[in-house]
Amino acid sequence: MAFALIACASVAHAQTGGPLVLAAASLQESMNAAADAWARHHHPRPVLSFAGSSALARQIAAGGAADLFVSADEDWMDYCAKAGLIVPDTRRSFLGGALVLIGPADSRLRLTPAPHFALARALNGGKLAMADPDAVPAGLYGRQALQRLGVWDQVSGQVVRAENVRAALALVAHGAAPLGIVYATDALAEPRVRTVGVFPAGSHAPITYPVARLKASTNPDAEGFRRFLLSDEAKAIFRHYGFVAL
Amino acid sequence: MVLSADEWAIVVLSLKVSGCAIAGALPVAFALAYLLARGRFPGKVVIDALVHLPLVLPPVVVGWVLLLAFAPAGPLGAPLGRYFGITLLFRWTGAALAAAVMALPLMVRSIRLSLDAIDPRLEAAARTLGAGRWSAFATITLPLARPGVLAALVLGFARSLGEFGATITFVSNVPGQTATLPLAIYSALQVPDQENTVWRLALISVLLSLCALIASEWLVRRSGKGPDVHVL
Repeated sequence: MAFALIACASVAHAQTGGPLVLAAASLQESMNAAADAWARHHHPRPVLSFAGSSALARQIAAGGAADLFVSADEDWMDYCAKAGLIVPDTRRSFLGGALVLIGPADSRLRLTPAPHFALARALNGGKLAMADPDAVPAGLYGRQALQRLGVWDQVSGQVVRAENVRAALALVAHGAAPLGIVYATDALAEPRVRTVGVFPAGSHAPITYPVARLKASTNPDAEGFRRFLLSDEAKAIFRHYGFVAL
Repeated sequence: MVLSADEWAIVVLSLKVSGCAIAGALPVAFALAYLLARGRFPGKVVIDALVHLPLVLPPVVVGWVLLLAFAPAGPLGAPLGRYFGITLLFRWTGAALAAAVMALPLMVRSIRLSLDAIDPRLEAAARTLGAGRWSAFATITLPLARPGVLAALVLGFARSLGEFGATITFVSNVPGQTATLPLAIYSALQVPDQENTVWRLALISVLLSLCALIASEWLVRRSGKGPDVHVL
């Protein structure tokens, strides 16, 4: 079968000019905006592939010839670092995020996440939408925060586990759940929800996004784009989408 | 319905990936179907089960196995790169391979059903009348198997168009290379204000798949007293 594919593969190696950047799905809007800005500086536009950080890290580990990796958590970047796949001194944790409690845009609820806050009462029997608290980073942070604030045991039975954080966002946006836990960036992207309250930074492990250049990188523009992501111009773009620029 | 240039590119890429996938899979599917329909050898059950694996396994498992096998340092990826200069990771050829593997069981099934329906005595009769083995195959078996082959092509094409899990796990989501319709829809679903794009791409998917399925039924019906290859 591979041989038949070779027959139609004549143009498979046509390299598009920009570096290939593997980025976590949650960075879709902001990285696209950053790539557009970089292209306006007369560089070839980077090619961006968005998927879960885990899938991307495994593709890198398999020897995929990409240029940059932007992970949604430090664990998957550690995984690549341990396997010797990234250039160590190009790794930077350049973005930070906040965790927020959201409700539908028309909700009047005000609820500040604090120790033993009245989350169960606010849910009033409804569901709490969050990314899978056993597997997906946004869900892991969310459960950690609720546990430290001492309310997890009261609400864990009402949690609906979404496959990723954007699916949790959609549950609240479409009225399937009265409250949800997502990143501040997600809440900002969806006009049908509003931020009810922000989780205190100390209630969960720091949320950081690391970038690094891959050892397999060959594109001459890769390092330039990595540096651009750390520049003040790019920081302003990421702030616009709700990230904290570190 | 007006598609943007980017959306057209996604549709064209999907058609290219699916087209190459079934073109590549067809000879393999036919050989396997022939082997399973006519062959008598020990271990046939095992071959049969292996062929059907992609149909029942979670697609992410198939994608992961492909990733391990066809990685640049993998057992199949390394020789492919060394002797043919071919890398599949992050390339549309890899997406086509993933689609071909996922479509293969469906294709083998439809071809095998039509081979099973051919009376082997027809071939034997042709041979007693002086036809060689190859000539009997080409003039008797192949034409009689045509409805099954056509149905296999159409069904395989429809299956390839919908392939998601194995593709994103194996070759990522690279625009212009591996971001086919389902992956582009997944990406658009991650962005709240992209729902118009989702609707348009979803509608295209529905239309293309419907066309393929109707074409498959039509091909089967048109063959009149041909074998019954309803897969729906």
